[in-house]
Amino acid sequence: MIHVSRLTKFYGDYPAVQDVTFDVGAGQVVGFLGPNGAGKSTTMRILAGYLTATSGSATIAGHDVVWDSLEVRRRIGYMPESCPLYHEMRITEYLHFRAGIKGLYGAKRRQRIDYVLKRCWLEDVRRQIIGTLSKGYRQRVGLADALLAAPPVLILDEPTAGLDPTQIRSTRELIRELGREHTILLSTHILSEVEMTCDHAIIIHRGRVAAQGTLSELKDRASAGAGLVAAFDGQIDDTALASLEGVTAVQKESVDGIVRVRLKSDDVASLTPRLCNLAAAKGWKVREIRPERPTLEDLFVQITGRENA
Amino acid sequence: MRATLSLIHREFSAYFYSPIAYVVIAVFLLVTGYLFSLSLLQLTALGPKGISYPMQLIVNDVAFWLVFLFIPPLLTMRSFAEERSTGTLEMLLTAPLRDWQVVMAKFLACYAFYVLMWLPTLLYLPVLLDWEWWTTRCGIDPWTVVATYLGLALAGAMFLSLGMFVSSLVRSQIIAALVALFLSLIFIVAGIWRPDLDASGLAYRILFYFTVPLHFERNFGRGVVDTRQLVLYISVAVLCLFLTIRSLESRRWR
Repeated sequence: MIHVSRLTKFYGDYPAVQDVTFDVGAGQVVGFLGPNGAGKSTTMRILAGYLTATSGSATIAGHDVVWDSLEVRRRIGYMPESCPLYHEMRITEYLHFRAGIKGLYGAKRRQRIDYVLKRCWLEDVRRQIIGTLSKGYRQRVGLADALLAAPPVLILDEPTAGLDPTQIRSTRELIRELGREHTILLSTHILSEVEMTCDHAIIIHRGRVAAQGTLSELKDRASAGAGLVAAFDGQIDDTALASLEGVTAVQKESVDGIVRVRLKSDDVASLTPRLCNLAAAKGWKVREIRPERPTLEDLFVQITGRENA
Repeated sequence: MRATLSLIHREFSAYFYSPIAYVVIAVFLLVTGYLFSLSLLQLTALGPKGISYPMQLIVNDVAFWLVFLFIPPLLTMRSFAEERSTGTLEMLLTAPLRDWQVVMAKFLACYAFYVLMWLPTLLYLPVLLDWEWWTTRCGIDPWTVVATYLGLALAGAMFLSLGMFVSSLVRSQIIAALVALFLSLIFIVAGIWRPDLDASGLAYRILFYFTVPLHFERNFGRGVVDTRQLVLYISVAVLCLFLTIRSLESRRWR
């Protein structure tokens, strides 16, 4: 649905986005992940037709974002970062205006406005002036606007930035629901958000794509450093641990008489029973044994940390 | 087309969300009303003091041109500068509208406000023209008034498009207004600061090409429609609108 190839954008001499290539299939919910200033907003602005890339190309639903910009803009719902709105208008007035410039009229317009008001939980405040709304409500108005023309693709730039925890939760829920009807590309720098709402992720760092794939693929990539964490009461013999089959590295630390070891291994599943046997044979008092699952955060830190070093 | 109408509607109503519209209309009506009453005195004066054309005094007065200098920049300063500073331009430019539709919509909304501002002055006309309602005849030749309004309509388009172009270049409304004011001054200054020039001299002839108050004094106010002035107003307006579209477009390439 979204096809980006070798996209590059320079602001003067500063490369905001370099050689970014990725694909978003129809119906996917893709998280666009990266630290602040990584080039997420720039990429999204190029896709939405607000900026033009220095080189490279991008198509949405088969239409080029530069040469066929109008067709692209008809097919996307774009919510910019920080969600700029006309503060002096009422919500319904604003949506009425936006529906008008998006080519919706008459009964269709009223029906879509009612739908998005309901969908984004704005019915109670529909007559309010936007300037008097809280940040959370404004974000919802932005989202409602993006949904107005029922576009097949939604591009949401940090839809949960600046919201309180309850609002973040409800927004994520809404995005998950919308994911059933729309292809969504959403940017965020909050990792747990991607894990909760998306099925694919693209990690971008310093203007380049550092990793992309489904969440499980990305987690597998991070699992190079997978292992077990075990904690014991009293003293243990760590040479016995190190000689255990399949263990590649042992880290040991003792706190308040509890010894906690971190075992690195390529095959965590078969290591667990062997460790149990060893503990039983040596008479160690086991407190816990748990696999250490790599998270997206680990991968993220690996990627962003590596290049910072 | 209907999308453009939606935008025109929003832009036009936006004037009334802020106090600017009311202040502008009030000041404008105050000044033209004062000049109207002066005109009445002059038209009915005995002896050599009077004026010979009904709108002549209004469009020749320094006070009128001072107001006319300030009004277009006040009307256009918001148009793009505000959208850029609040970021709403991004919403507008990612909507399925072409850049020229955005510019034209904003210009037409602005122009509609300008026309609205002039509408109440039509009430002066029956008196100025010595209109007899039972015969629907005018005691004074009405074509001088028609020519004056034609000139005002086109000169207004020129100053408004100039202001819009400036507004599309900057982020601050104040700067947009001041720069537009300065540029408008080029077209007006010789009308406010009236050097005692010999009307046949070279300086006057050069100034006359682009000094709008002189056009009204010599031509439109007396019912003369000179194509040189019409061409000036229309071409400056078209050029400024074109530059505004380009300036908006160039935003995407930065």
